[in-house]
Parts: sequence; structure tokens; C-alpha cells
Amino acid sequence: MPGASRVLAWLAAIVAASALAFWLGGYATDVYRKMLIWIALALSYNFLFGIAGQVAFSHFAFAGVGAYAVVILAHKIGLPFGIAFIGALALCALLAYIVALPATRLEGFYLALATLAFSQLVLVVIDEGGSLTGGTGGIANYRLPPVLGFAIRGPWYTVLLVLLVALTLWTLVRLDHSAFGRACRAIRDNAVAAAAMGVDVRRVKVLAFTLTSTLAGLAGIAYAYVDNVINPSVFGLENIFLLLFMIIIGGSGSHLGAIIGAIVVYLAPFLLEPIVGHGFLVVFGVLVVLTILFQPAGLAGLLTWRAARQAT
Amino acid sequence: MEDLPELIVSATASGCIYALVALAYLLILRPTSVINFAIGEWAATGAFIGVAVLTPLAWPRLEGPYWLALVAVLVILGLLGWLVEVVTVRPLIRRGAGITSPILALLGVLVIFRESLTMLFGADPLPSPPPFGFKRVALGPFAGASQQFLIIGATFAVFVAVWLFFERTVWGRAFEAVALNRRAAALIGINLRRVTALAFAAGAMVAGLAGLLMTPLTSAHYMMGLPLAIQGFTALVIGGVGRVEGALLGGLLLAFVEQLGARYLPIPSGLTLGFPFVLLIVFLFLRPGGLIAPREAC
Repeated sequence: MPGASRVLAWLAAIVAASALAFWLGGYATDVYRKMLIWIALALSYNFLFGIAGQVAFSHFAFAGVGAYAVVILAHKIGLPFGIAFIGALALCALLAYIVALPATRLEGFYLALATLAFSQLVLVVIDEGGSLTGGTGGIANYRLPPVLGFAIRGPWYTVLLVLLVALTLWTLVRLDHSAFGRACRAIRDNAVAAAAMGVDVRRVKVLAFTLTSTLAGLAGIAYAYVDNVINPSVFGLENIFLLLFMIIIGGSGSHLGAIIGAIVVYLAPFLLEPIVGHGFLVVFGVLVVLTILFQPAGLAGLLTWRAARQAT
Repeated sequence: MEDLPELIVSATASGCIYALVALAYLLILRPTSVINFAIGEWAATGAFIGVAVLTPLAWPRLEGPYWLALVAVLVILGLLGWLVEVVTVRPLIRRGAGITSPILALLGVLVIFRESLTMLFGADPLPSPPPFGFKRVALGPFAGASQQFLIIGATFAVFVAVWLFFERTVWGRAFEAVALNRRAAALIGINLRRVTALAFAAGAMVAGLAGLLMTPLTSAHYMMGLPLAIQGFTALVIGGVGRVEGALLGGLLLAFVEQLGARYLPIPSGLTLGFPFVLLIVFLFLRPGGLIAPREAC
């Protein structure tokens, strides 16, 4: 049971991360906001890949569906923002469920390739969507309307992103510690044994996929108002590789690892690019291979022995 | 319909490239169960080696002959494939890590290869000359670039060679035995480590050959690997992962659907880019065994 000290720790972390938003300058704010989006995506992807053991390549596709759906519903069709928001989220959940039903029957890396094909199809549809999706140019010139009467601007939007990360983390930690989370880990480690112990493998797999993909959609909706511009390239294959690398380097299966991995992999190019130019991607590739070979518990496993125990 | 014969030549040539990439997957997948997504980057590596040997890019005022490019591609890719297996896959198999670990490690290898190619050769597409010049060749109504006929001929030669290897040689039977049952194969004295290393070397060589063959038509480009990896895998899934012939059939089918669809179906050309993905999804979901049934263990 979470004690009072744990609640205080959560509150302190949220307040500290929010306070940072009021202190950072314009460029740093932009970097900080995108880092928060990456952390939210890494957390949900860690649950799908690290905890449920599903190597899916569709996470950014669902972020893209969320982002495009909310912008199209709210600003092209002109629905009230609340309805557009719920509609976009519901569309993500429904689409994820439809994809999950057949996809979760595929074993191992075949799931990765089926979801990869799905993500590429989403991109093809966005590219060919004409004036509705703006084609390859994307959609611009929209702003977040007042939400529940509040006009959320500047640092307050960053605070909203902090709350998004906190909500994502809280949901996933709660799930992880529930029977559902244990079922997910059991299926990851040995699906046959899990089924023999009475776990409904299909149902748990479909649920895990649908839930984490909907969380990706939520992060995508939040992303749509970071730059107030969306275009298809953001949701392409390049970023799913980065997301996967974040989880592997940070420590697959560990929430802390997902956060560390997202921060390290997202911020590293800012430090490395002046030194090695575009070569930082080679560094990531080498890091991934080394992590899998020598430190499967990732950075989180290096940091604390306890985290390593949980991740394995 | 007047351009149909030429379209058939062009689709067959593209299909042969897909088939070679599918074959490269298959050579590795059969004995090891590892889907090596870095195959596309290995094809790109072959393409860039071809450019480096055949054009004065790497060594100014030195343009090598085509046989040298072919030998360089086969030797370098064979070594690279072997090296990647020894460094990244073998320790994981020895440790007893799940099958996902080597596959994920190979995704890291994919990025290492692609970014190294970008740093070595830059981001601009580099053309390489076709060995038989740019002249057109016509066999009755079937006309096309000489390179297209070279691709078709070379692919069929490779497939015949691989088919003979599997059907007629002891080594081929050893590969097949490992594919059917690793443990039993090890028990009857087959060297698993050597088969695995050879599988990676052979897969890399076939992928590199595909890259070398396609460069005169498409140029070598650092982004060419991933689409090839997807198309090759789609071809593999269509044909079925069990048999060598399946890779050829899958590659040809994919290319014909792509090109005939883009030419004759009344839909925007952009949407035709989605064909391989639709095919991949349909076959994975509805017919995961592919068109040709794998050989049963008897």
C-alpha cells in the first residue's frame, strides 16, 4: 500500500518537474516539452515491449493517429475540443483493438513486422489524405482552445505535459503491480506456462496492446499542441527505432529504466552532435548491441541492484 | 496494354531483387530462426561497395572492372556477415537468451551499418554504371535495359545454385537438418556454430549481390536498406519461409502486384505504395505459412 511518504514523493516530483517549466527559456522549454512526450511514450512502450513482451512497431503510428484525429476533429471539422479529445482517444483505442485482435496471434518478431506494415499504411493514408490531413506538408495554424474555461499557454502547457507523464506512470505502475501486470510478465517469460496457470493469454495480450497504444495516442494528442504543427515524418519508422533503443538502453521492463533511457537517448544528440556530427546514431547502435550482450537490465540495472532484480 | 511486355520485364527484374533479399532472409532464418532485419543494410553495403569499385569515387581516376566489384561484394559481405554472427549472435545463443535478443541486437547492427554508410559515402544517391552499358535489349516483344536482363539471369543462377546446394550437397542437407531440429542435428554431429556462421555469411553475400545488381537502376542511397528489408520480408512471407522456391515466387508476385497495380488500377499512385504492406498483413494474418507449404519433418 502506498504510504503517505510515497504520495509526498510523487507530489514533490510533479511540483519540481513543473517548477522547471517556469524557469526554462524558450528553446529549453521546447526541448523539455519534447523530452516529456518521449518519456510518456517510452513508459507506455516499455509496458508493451518490456513487460508484456510484445515487439510492436506501431507505437508512433498510434501517437500519429491521436495527433491527427484531435487536430482534424477540433480544427478541420470544428467539434468542441472536449468531444474532439475523447473522439481521438476513442479512435486510438478502437483501432488498437482492431489491430490487436489478429496481431497478437503472431509470434515474436512477426508481430513487429505486421505492426510495421500497419504503421507504414497509416503513413501512406496520411500522405494521401489530401486537404484533410495536409498530405506530406501536414497541418499547421491551429491552437489549443480553452479547456474547461482555462486558456493553457506557455509554461502551463508544460505543466500539463508533466501531469501527462505522471498520469501515464501512475497508471502503468498500478497495472504492473496488479494481477494483470503479473499475467503480462508471465506471458512474456513463458506463454504456455502462463496459460497452464489459468491466464487468458489472448485477452491479456489484446488488452496490453490496446491500453498501451491508447496511451501512445494520448501522448500524440499532447504532442499536437507542442509545436502546433503536425506532419507525417514525425510518426515514421526512424522514431520507433529510437523508442526501442530507449527501452533497451534504459532497461527493458523497468519504469525507471524507460525514464532514464528516454532522457539519455533524447538528450545525448544535443551533447554528441557538436562532437561527432550525425555519428551519434552509430553510438546508439553500438550501445544497443553492448547493452543486449553485457547488461540486459540496462542503465536502470546499473543504477540500483533492486531495479535490476525487478527488470529480470 | 501496349507497354505490358516491357512492364513484365521490369516487374520480373524488381521481383528478382526482392527474391534475392527474401533468399538472404531465408538462408539465415531457416537454420537459426533469427529474422535479420539488417539484411536491407547489407544490400545497401553491397551497392556502395559496387559504387566504390566501379566509379572513381573512392579512388580517383581508378575505375575497376565489374568482376572485381562482384568479388569485392561477395568477399566483404561474407566476412561482415560472419563477423556480425560471431560478435552479436553467437554469445547470445551460447548464453541461452531468448530468440528476441539476437533480433533486437541486429536492429542495433542495422543502425550501425546505415549510419556508417552515411558517414562514408554521404547522403546523396550515387549512380553506378551497368556492366553491359545503357543499351536496350529486346527478346521479341520483351524489351528492357540490359541491366534488367542481367538481374533476371543472375537471380535465376543464384536460385539454381542454392537449390542444388540444399538438395545435392552434404552441407545443404546439414543446413536443412539444423532448420528442422537444432538439437537432433547437433546430436548427429553437425557443427551448429559453423552452420550458423555460414548461414549469416551466405545471407550477407546474397543480400550484397542484390544491392550490387540493383544499383545501376536505382543508385546507391543510404535510405535504400529499410524499404528493401520490408519488401524482401514481404516476399518471404508471401512465398513461405520453408522453401527456397517460395522466396522467388514471393518476390515475383510482390513486384507484379506493385507494378501492374500502379499501372492499371484506378487509384492515386501514392496509395499504391501501400500494396506491399497490405500484402504483408494479409499473408501474416491469413496465410502465415506462405503459398508453398514447408517440407515436413519426416
